[in-house]
Amino acid sequence: MNFSETLKLAFSAIWAHKLRSFLTLLGMIIGVTAFMVVLSLLQGFNAYVDEKIAGIGSNSFTVRRFSFDDFKDTDTIAAAQRRNKELTFDERDFIRDHAQLIDKMGAKSGNVSREVKREGESLRDVQISGAEPIIAEIDKLDIAQGRFFSMPENDNAVRVAYVGMDVANKLFPKGDALGQAITISGIPYRIIGIQTAKGTVFGQPQDNFVTLPIKTFGAAFGGLTRQRAPYFVITAKNDKVFNDSVEEVRMLMRIKRKLAFGEKDSFGILTPDAITALRDSILGPIFIVIIAVPTIALLVGAIVIMNIMLVSVTERTKEIGIRKSLGARQADILKQFLMESATLSAMGGTIGLIIAELLGIIITKFVFQTRIPIWSALFAIAISGGVGILAGIFPAWKAARLDPIEALRAD
Amino acid sequence: MEEENGNGKSPESPSASRGEALISMRTIWKTYQMGTEELHALRDVSFEVKRNEYLAIIGPSGSGKSTLMNLIGCLDSPSKGEYWINGNLVSEMSDDELARIRNKEIGFVFQTFNLLARATALHNVELPLIYAGMRAGPRHDQAQAALASVELGDRVTHRPNELSGGQRQRVAIARALVNNPSILLADEPTGALDSKTSVEIMHLFEKLHSDGNTIILVTHEPDIAARAHRVITIRDGLIEKDERLK
Repeated sequence: MNFSETLKLAFSAIWAHKLRSFLTLLGMIIGVTAFMVVLSLLQGFNAYVDEKIAGIGSNSFTVRRFSFDDFKDTDTIAAAQRRNKELTFDERDFIRDHAQLIDKMGAKSGNVSREVKREGESLRDVQISGAEPIIAEIDKLDIAQGRFFSMPENDNAVRVAYVGMDVANKLFPKGDALGQAITISGIPYRIIGIQTAKGTVFGQPQDNFVTLPIKTFGAAFGGLTRQRAPYFVITAKNDKVFNDSVEEVRMLMRIKRKLAFGEKDSFGILTPDAITALRDSILGPIFIVIIAVPTIALLVGAIVIMNIMLVSVTERTKEIGIRKSLGARQADILKQFLMESATLSAMGGTIGLIIAELLGIIITKFVFQTRIPIWSALFAIAISGGVGILAGIFPAWKAARLDPIEALRAD
Repeated sequence: MEEENGNGKSPESPSASRGEALISMRTIWKTYQMGTEELHALRDVSFEVKRNEYLAIIGPSGSGKSTLMNLIGCLDSPSKGEYWINGNLVSEMSDDELARIRNKEIGFVFQTFNLLARATALHNVELPLIYAGMRAGPRHDQAQAALASVELGDRVTHRPNELSGGQRQRVAIARALVNNPSILLADEPTGALDSKTSVEIMHLFEKLHSDGNTIILVTHEPDIAARAHRVITIRDGLIEKDERLK
C-alpha cells in the first residue's frame, strides 16, 4: 500500500469520527498554540532587541558614561559614579579628529520629561532630548513630514523641534502641525519635522517625544549635565572594521582621559553584541522554562492521541481482520494506524499553528511584536506529526499483531 | 520476495509438477493447548482439490470444519503436516507470506459479508487490489468489472447499509473474485440470507463454477452442500466421508 493510499485512508478514518477527532486534537492544538505563541513572543522580543535597542544592522555603537559592568552591584555603581566623568564635546572632537575607522559620529543628550503645550492643548510626560543634526543619518530616522535640524540651526541654538507622531496628532488634532509653534517650559519652538509613527512597545508609546538641536536643548534645560549629559553614537566605516573601530574609539577615549595601562575604562562602550549577550544571559534560563511548559502540553496531547488510537484499534478489530483476510500484511496495518495518528496529530499542529499565527497578529497589534519564523512553523508541524507517530506506535503495533481469525470474530 | 515464484519453494511441489491438485493437504494436524490438555481440532487430515472443483465441506459445529476452513484460507497454520496451494508450501510460511497468499490465491466469502461499512461497494472490491499494490487506474477498472460480473455495475457508489443482504453478499463475492484467486472459499455464504436470496447466491456460485472457478463451500446445511459436486464430511477432526455427487 503506497503513501497516498495510506494518507487517504487516514483522512477518511479521521473524517468518519469528526467530533472525536476534533476533541482528540484539542490537546495537540492547545499544545502547539501555546508553544508557538511563546516562541513567537521570544522571537519578536529578540528581533526587537536586535533592531531597536542593539541596532544590529545599523552598524553603530555608543560611548556612554557607564558600561553594563558598572551596574553589577551597588558598590560598582557607586565606584563608577565617582570615577566616570560625564562625556564632553572635547572628547567628541578628539575622537572625531583622530579616529580613522569611524564613518559618522554624533552626540545625543539624555531625556527629560516635560509638559508640552500649544494654545488650548497640552500633553504631559513628553520625552524631550537633544541631538546633533547628523543623528538623522546615523539613526536612519524615518521622517514623515518636514526635515531634521540643519547644522546652522544647531550651532545657533535655534528653537526648532522634531516631534513624534503622537505629539503632532494630540496637540494638533486637525493636522497641519508642521511649522506650528509648541511651548515647553514656557519657551516656544517651531515644529520642522514629524517622525513616522512607530506604535507602542511593551505598552510604552514610541511616538511621544520631542527632539531639539542639542545646543538648543542644553541652553533651555540647564546645561548638558547630569541626566542630560551627552553620549556619542558612532558608526564604523564598514562591518569588517566594526570591532577595530570600537577598539580605536576605546583607545582614543583612554588617551584623552589619560588612563594608565591596566586601569579600568572610565566610560562605557555599548556594542550590539554586548546588548544581545546581556539579553541572552538574562533570558537564557527563562527561555528554557517557558519552552518547557508548552512542551508538557504537547506531551499531554500525545497521551490523548495514544489513548484514542488504542480505542480506535479496539473498535476496528473487525476491520483489521477483514483487511488481513484480504491480504494486508502487518506492515500495511501498522502503516495505516501510524499514518492515522500522525495525520491526526499534524492536523492538530497545523490548526494550532494557524491559531498561534492569528493570536500573533492580535498580540502584535495591541501589545508587542511577535514573529513566527518559517523554520519554527515547519518545526511545529514536524514535531506534532512526530509526536503522533510516537503516540501511534504502540496502538498500531497492537493492531498489526492481531490474529486475523480472532479479529474476524470480533463484533 | 513479492514476486517470488511459488514453484521455487520445493522440488516436490505437487500441483505444478503433476498439473493436477490445486490444493493438497497432507496429514494435517491442528492441536490446541487447553491448559494441560491437548485438544486435537484436526487429526491427520489429507485430501486434494483439483482445479475447477466445486467442493462442500460439511460437519456439525465443533467438528473441526471452521479450523479446516481457516487452514485452507491461510488464516492459520497447521501444527503438523504439509499444506500446498498452487505450488506454494503454505504450512511453513511466515505471517506476511501468508498474507500474500491470501491476497493472491484466496477469495473469501463470509457468512456476515464482512464488508467495510464506511466504504463504497467499489472501494470494498478494490481492497485486495490495493494490498496487491495495483495502481488506481487499472484498479478501478478491474473492481468495476468485478461488480458488473455480479450484476452490481450500477451500485458502485453505494455503501453496504444502502444495499440488501443479497447485494451485500454479491459485493463480497465480487471482492473475492477481483484478484482472480485460485480458490473461492465461502464460509456459510447463505447463513445470513433468506431462502429466496440464498437460492440466488447459490445460482451465482454455480455460474462461477461453470466459468472455471474452483469453489470450496463450508456449511452445516446439507441442502446447500448438496449443490456441490463433491462433499467432504468432517466429524471430530477426522474426514468421515469424501463423496463425489456429480
